[in-house]
Amino acid sequence: MKRYSALGTVGWQVLICAIVLSVWQWGYDLRTRLPWLVPDLLDPYFISKPSMIFDNFLIQSCLTSKLGAFNGWFNGDFGKCLARNENNLWAATAITLKNTFFGFVTGVVSGFVAGLILGRSDRLSAIFQPFITAVNSIPRIALAPIIVLAFGIGDMSKIVTSWIVVVFLVFFNTFEGARSIDEGFTNAARLLGASEWQITRTVVIPSTMAWVFASLTPAISFALIGVIVGEFIGAERGIGRLIIESEARGEASGMMVAVVVLMLVGVVLSAIIWRLQAYLLRWQRQRGAE
Amino acid sequence: MSTLETSAPVSPRASADRRVEVKGLSKSFQLARTTIEAVRDVSFDVRRGEFVALLGPSGSGKSTVLNMIASLIRPTGGEILIDGKRVVPGKATPNVGYVFQRDTLFPWRTVGDNIGYGLELSGVPAHERRERIAECVAQAGLRGFENAYPSALSGGMRQRAALMRTLIVEPQILLMDEPFGALDTHTKIDMHEVLLRIWEREQQTVLFVTHDLGEALTLADRIILFSARPGRIKDMFEVDFVRPRDAVKVRETEHYAELFQHIWHSLGEEFVKGRSA
Repeated sequence: MKRYSALGTVGWQVLICAIVLSVWQWGYDLRTRLPWLVPDLLDPYFISKPSMIFDNFLIQSCLTSKLGAFNGWFNGDFGKCLARNENNLWAATAITLKNTFFGFVTGVVSGFVAGLILGRSDRLSAIFQPFITAVNSIPRIALAPIIVLAFGIGDMSKIVTSWIVVVFLVFFNTFEGARSIDEGFTNAARLLGASEWQITRTVVIPSTMAWVFASLTPAISFALIGVIVGEFIGAERGIGRLIIESEARGEASGMMVAVVVLMLVGVVLSAIIWRLQAYLLRWQRQRGAE
Repeated sequence: MSTLETSAPVSPRASADRRVEVKGLSKSFQLARTTIEAVRDVSFDVRRGEFVALLGPSGSGKSTVLNMIASLIRPTGGEILIDGKRVVPGKATPNVGYVFQRDTLFPWRTVGDNIGYGLELSGVPAHERRERIAECVAQAGLRGFENAYPSALSGGMRQRAALMRTLIVEPQILLMDEPFGALDTHTKIDMHEVLLRIWEREQQTVLFVTHDLGEALTLADRIILFSARPGRIKDMFEVDFVRPRDAVKVRETEHYAELFQHIWHSLGEEFVKGRSA
């Protein structure tokens, strides 16, 4: 593949951002002059516009008052603003992140362990196979209302929804990974005297890791989706709750702020996974003395 | 000689000298409803410290025999004794080391950690492990690559590392399944030198599977020639070149050429048969 200069790539990215944001910001103003060019969807009533979203962000995050004056850090205005709204942007983000984290971790751990056990046991996988296929055929999000009904509108229902979308993803990848282990590796270990447990620890788990990691980036997005859907259905706090409230007020900017925050959260979480993968799977990167 | 002596069973000395005994070994595979007979009634013994090459065309069952000796494959008939004890399929026999056709170095471990794997399994403390890894790394000419991952190494380097991973636990019996089959000619001859020097020093009993007659002649004391499928022993040849051997110079001798011609003819017949089968 041809290598492009970094500056050129970044230059294009900046250009694309500038075009999209400009059309978003000013595109609808062209409607009076060129009505055939501008679709209804560009109406700020539906999609807001970047400047309004930014202003709304400052208000929701208590950085400015509703009139646009900056809230002082030291005179206590900022603190008072936060206290006034229990589900302010900071608190909402924190609660959504927390639930996402627990849903993700429990989903990954349980999916990994189950995948490893079933992947290594032909008998168990034969027994459970039809059940897994059946449950996997259910769109997990369809279970969210039931989960909220069962676990209430608190954090637990969000964690469970998140868990249920993550666990299968990780399970199937781990399962496939554990099944497709190169027999040469297990034989080599066995012939060097490894016990079954040593083989699991030193061969099965490391060679399954690449498969597991392939599922973690989608898993973290799924975990976030699970939590947000749970919050849509019933919650007192969280970013999903913010979106529902803004929607009820017909306030596109408020929803967009939440969406942008979710996007940033998603990017940061994926970046963390990516870093972790680059470190743990560093052996995959060194290529080619030949 | 008294009758008592001649009628005496095999002397304990002689039987103690037999490290590996293969008796009436057979193996059939079930492949899409047809039974394929891979190995038919193979019997041979290997003496302590002997270097034996199993030579034959591909599909002659020589690797299958080796894998049965290694306990990787369950025989359908016959038995294998190592030091007088029956080999149990699926259970590693102590003292037996195995070198695979393609190197099976763990890609997630560095070269040093790969070589030290066997010691790690048996719980050798880290500092002692480091010393012995360093020795092996030096012996394999891999200094400076201890911390590299296998993917960064050339084929020859990888196979040397794989050989050291097997040798570090000091097995008395070495089973080698075309270990240098994937290497180019020069690298291969380098590996022959490495292996000959190690074997001269450690005097392991070696069973070496190959389809390369030159390789078998360079290395072995004895060549067991396998026929095309179903694999049977067609012939055996003593290879009596002086030890220690030089992997390059041995090929230049007249005696080498003679033996090569002699066995080549017999091997050639099997290649032809193997092709038509």
